[in-house]
Amino acid sequence: MEMTHMSPSTIVETQNLSKTYGGVNRVNKVHLHVREGEIYGFLGPNGAGKTTTLKMLLGLVKPSEGMIQIFGENLNKHRSSILQRTGSLIESPSYYGHLTGLENMKVVQRLRNVPDRNVDEALRIVRLEHHKHKKVDHYSLGMKQRLGIAMALVSFPKLLILDEPTNGLDPAGIGEIRELIKSLPARYEMTVLLSSHLLSEVEQVATSIGIISEGNLLFQGSMASLREKSGTSILLKTKDNTKAERLLMDYGYRPVQNGDRLEFGDLQDTEVADINRLLVAHHIPIIRIEERKKSLEDIFLELTGKERSL
Amino acid sequence: MLWAFMSLSRYIDRNPDHAVWESVLFTVSSMNGLFMPIVSAVVVSRICDMEHKGATWKLLVASNVKRGFLYAAKYICANSLLLSGILGQTVLMIVFGRMIDLSGVPPVEWFIRFMGGTLLTTLAVTALQQWISVAVKNQTFALCLGMVGGFFGMTAALFPEAVRQMLMWSYYTDLGPITYRYAESSGEYIVQPLTADFGIATAALMMTFLFYIAGSIHVARQEI
Repeated sequence: MEMTHMSPSTIVETQNLSKTYGGVNRVNKVHLHVREGEIYGFLGPNGAGKTTTLKMLLGLVKPSEGMIQIFGENLNKHRSSILQRTGSLIESPSYYGHLTGLENMKVVQRLRNVPDRNVDEALRIVRLEHHKHKKVDHYSLGMKQRLGIAMALVSFPKLLILDEPTNGLDPAGIGEIRELIKSLPARYEMTVLLSSHLLSEVEQVATSIGIISEGNLLFQGSMASLREKSGTSILLKTKDNTKAERLLMDYGYRPVQNGDRLEFGDLQDTEVADINRLLVAHHIPIIRIEERKKSLEDIFLELTGKERSL
Repeated sequence: MLWAFMSLSRYIDRNPDHAVWESVLFTVSSMNGLFMPIVSAVVVSRICDMEHKGATWKLLVASNVKRGFLYAAKYICANSLLLSGILGQTVLMIVFGRMIDLSGVPPVEWFIRFMGGTLLTTLAVTALQQWISVAVKNQTFALCLGMVGGFFGMTAALFPEAVRQMLMWSYYTDLGPITYRYAESSGEYIVQPLTADFGIATAALMMTFLFYIAGSIHVARQEI
């Protein structure tokens, strides 16, 4: 089945992408949609299925079901042409420890058939130009990660897939890589698909976001549309919530029981005052009126249903 | 090789009538039965393990390199190294023979048969070794297989012929141009007829093909 409704600016599109291991769906019918020039943050807790999904996009893992289309071409049929235009760093960086940084870059240069200046430029971007003659076995974890990013960048591909790119980097390094990633679409016309389990990281870099949990894509859209979900809500605590709810329903409000509070959507100040007046008039004592603004983390936890560390 | 030549020198000193090219070729072929499976295992393992250690399979495969090409490149590389070893052995045998003044000119045909037989056996052995080395990250398995092969290669002559023919490591001696026939306390070198090699050579080629294709398909289907 060939997908035919892909817009011209779509770089990555998957339909029903699934991967099953031992009867367990690690990735379940994921519809990924990455547009040209975007920095797409693929966010999810550890073990959510991010790496498996990215590996399927690179042909490293065979999907159990579904379709992958990159650059408007089917991955199964045009794997070679797609991979020529794709750079990647998946899981831990890949390297030959007995070779120097430069020699490792030369290996990738030969595979990608790119000129020497690309190697110099990629090493300069990740600030490894002064360590390029050192054996990679002697690199720190952060330097290996930088080398992995340089290897992914060496052909300055149209699509860059980075799996947890800031792993092992110190705070300064994380900041640098973040700025680098942000600059790639404008400087090199790249589309970046990066995965992370850190909401703060994705929030600072991505223009679009996909949230995955237990193999299911729970949200996909622009960062702006995700932020829209973080609208305020008004919480009300009374002496008799059931009576208050009934009364307010009669007056056209739509409160929702949330623990020992009644929750409303984003209300105008005048509406809050009206509710207050109404309850007082009906002798329902008000204990507390709160305004709550959802953070992105709240939204993430709400979506994934997980009160756990990201 | 040095150890083999020292041993041969002492043997020839004690048995001057065995100062012939046959003894050199037979000794080195027998020695290959023990050492070549181990050397092959080590060479193949080192060439394959560098990809496991640096997690570079995914780098190569994601860089648009076909797994079949990678597999073939590793196989060619390993066997080129081992072939250079076989050529080195041949040159050293000729030099050694000249140094101890073996009678006659070096028997070119026997040396060609030695190289061909050793290479054919090595191709089959490395095909199996590479399959294991690539498919199983822990190289202990591959190296153990090499040692088991060395054991069979060394003790091949003690097995019945039907069993021996199934053990490819025995082909190092079986495909050698010279064999040794034991008789009571002594023995004599026999030149193996070329026709006797055809069956074993065919078996070696079939094993090479079988192990290579099975390994290549298995590895291509493995997820990274």
